[in-house]
Amino acid sequence: MKLQYYPGCTLYTKAKPLNTSLHACFNAVGIELAELPHWYCCGTTFTLARDNRMSLIAPLRILAKAQQEDGKVLVPCSICYNTLKRANYMLNEDRETLDILNEHLEESYDGNEIVLHPLEFFRDNEELVRSKVKKSLKDLKVGCYYGCLLLRPQQEIQFDDPEAPTIFENFISSVGATPIDFPLKVECCGSYLVVTSPDAALESSYKLLRNAQGNGVNAVVTSCPLCYYNLDALQEKMTKAHPDFKQIPVFYFSQILALALGAEEKNLGLEQNKVSPYTILKEYDLL
Amino acid sequence: MNKILADKDLTRRIEEISDQKLSDCYQCGRCTAGCPFAEFMDVPPNQVIRFMQLGLKEDLLKTQGPWFCAACLVCQARCPRGVDIPRLMEAVRTIHLRAKEGLIDVPEIDKEFLLDAPPLALISAFSKFTY
Repeated sequence: MKLQYYPGCTLYTKAKPLNTSLHACFNAVGIELAELPHWYCCGTTFTLARDNRMSLIAPLRILAKAQQEDGKVLVPCSICYNTLKRANYMLNEDRETLDILNEHLEESYDGNEIVLHPLEFFRDNEELVRSKVKKSLKDLKVGCYYGCLLLRPQQEIQFDDPEAPTIFENFISSVGATPIDFPLKVECCGSYLVVTSPDAALESSYKLLRNAQGNGVNAVVTSCPLCYYNLDALQEKMTKAHPDFKQIPVFYFSQILALALGAEEKNLGLEQNKVSPYTILKEYDLL
Repeated sequence: MNKILADKDLTRRIEEISDQKLSDCYQCGRCTAGCPFAEFMDVPPNQVIRFMQLGLKEDLLKTQGPWFCAACLVCQARCPRGVDIPRLMEAVRTIHLRAKEGLIDVPEIDKEFLLDAPPLALISAFSKFTY
């Protein structure tokens, strides 16, 4: 079986571990990821200005292109997922804007492409995933960090409950690890403020890691490459700002799943994690 | 004294760009209570909205609050009146950016960070802080 997927800019650069481990996961369950040909950037961040039509062009063209290939497209990056899904929703609601954009573009889009996140795919195919688990991740206490983009706005994203989501925890349970709830799992890591207001991003990421640790989490799992950067790469600065802070490893959900599915270590991309994941993985006998 | 002269034009523009109705907000402050970045803002979200409601142009255009909004939408999810607050914050930024104010200054970004940061962080910031 083949599944069409849109990687987006970061999966080929700083989020390679997400890309390679995701491919390993899908290989293990017998599905080939077919990359959307000649894709380009989704523009990142859905525009919130109602009169900004320019920002809808990139998502529309990607959706139109994907539709030519297949009625469904898998989008692993949370920002791309959010942007494409919101654009899709808006273009469906606002047919006038859709017509105007279609009139100006070579592509023509009808608003019906299905945008799918890997976590949704694994939820809908839980038995398939469960049957392929080779290594139980028992006792690994995982904090599932959702961030913003998979959850909000709920009306448009329809992913899970925005205040008390469970899709990630169910996923973590299905690979044998122990999900640990922590209140800040749905709050913002600071997102792109890391570029313009680094202190704000540092503090919010620090707060939510502390919150996770305080609830007994010993590994944080996320799906978004930007959250991943803020939570993982900023830890060195967190230690400087808060000397009592103990660093905690951060994983992509696909790295955890690939581990459970018995993927080769070279496909996990663990060497790119800034906070070393090896100590904990060895401690739990997972490598 | 011109502070008390409401700028109706500005209020109308904010409502147009954001597609929100300012009179929907009854100032309960729930947006500010849950905002992860309120502590960094000189004026918190509900007060920024108050400036809009009253048409206090000077105060509204002076505040740095909207620039700390990461559009995380926690406030939007919790607003009992269904106000999409991040759209209002975007409207303020949009007004500034279209007047070429508050644009991101790329040469000012730390070089080491530029090499280290994931592309989507930079592209997001560029698309949010340009026009």
